[in-house]
Amino acid sequence: MLRRFEMYSVAGGDRDPKVRRLAEAFSTCGQFIPEVLHSAVGWNLSPAPLQLVWEHAYASPEAYRRYMVHPFHAAVLDRYLLADSPERVVTDNDLGAGLVGYSCDGPTFVLACGVRRLVLLQVDRAASEAEVGRAAEVLESVPRATPAMALSVVGANTMGRAWFDGVTPMPGSARWSHVWEQGFESLDALRSYLVSDTDVASAERENFSNWRGGLVTGSVSVHYQMLVSDRPR
Amino acid sequence: MTVYLVDTIEVAADRLEAYLELVETVGVPVMTEAGARLDRCTATSVALGEPVEIQIVWSFDDHGQWNEIRKNMVLDPRWYEYGRRGASLRTGGTRRFHYPTPAAGGR
Repeated sequence: MLRRFEMYSVAGGDRDPKVRRLAEAFSTCGQFIPEVLHSAVGWNLSPAPLQLVWEHAYASPEAYRRYMVHPFHAAVLDRYLLADSPERVVTDNDLGAGLVGYSCDGPTFVLACGVRRLVLLQVDRAASEAEVGRAAEVLESVPRATPAMALSVVGANTMGRAWFDGVTPMPGSARWSHVWEQGFESLDALRSYLVSDTDVASAERENFSNWRGGLVTGSVSVHYQMLVSDRPR
Repeated sequence: MTVYLVDTIEVAADRLEAYLELVETVGVPVMTEAGARLDRCTATSVALGEPVEIQIVWSFDDHGQWNEIRKNMVLDPRWYEYGRRGASLRTGGTRRFHYPTPAAGGR
């Protein structure tokens, strides 16, 4: 399965009619492209300079490739996104978070409703696979120690470069090496986690500096109330 | 089945020349090298005392080919320049995909 996020800064804010039409197109995309699963949108509530987030998934790279050539993708979504489109509503930003995502065995990320939080991590490129794996286990175990967090999934950001077919890395580099996806029942639950005295929350408050020997060299987070309207046509 | 990408651009009359120069010098090389065909580029008259409308029509074989063209565009730094300069010159516009109809004999 491919888990995927698109995150945008927008020119007119969430009240601009064209921006709202883009959000609606993301939200209802699964009604037109059946390969698009677990689709939800949200308006970022964190200080990161991004406004609109679209989270979704595909059963396989083949399903993703069918999405890529679907007329709804080309004619409706890209109308608001592509750099040369006269109807573009998104803006350039230097966060490098436009498209991120990871491969997983199944929909372990499912959150029916509530608050989604994404922490994009830049992991030291010199770190061993074993070190990174142990750190991911620690992050994924947070809900066991902190009930405020309902869900925690970590994946290598393969979609950042495999945006064309879901598998093949395209030229260029991805700024964020890993995606840490969290779920909370409410904003209060998220706040409760963020101020908790657990090791991981403490590390987050210090931007992961010195956490596990300096494994994480950078991070940024977004969070949003999930707006779901992904029903069959 | 041919697919047509129809960009309809609105510009002030005194910016028509600059926009057409951008299409000719940046847009056409980027798009044709990416695999699209330029079918036509027409404009309304500048002598009517109203904003000018430019219509640029690109074509390709199907949405599969468009996906390849799109990939090539995204990987071409000139495409971003085309987008930035175009946005600074126009006042509005639309992008639509069109398909042949029986009324024109399927063309």
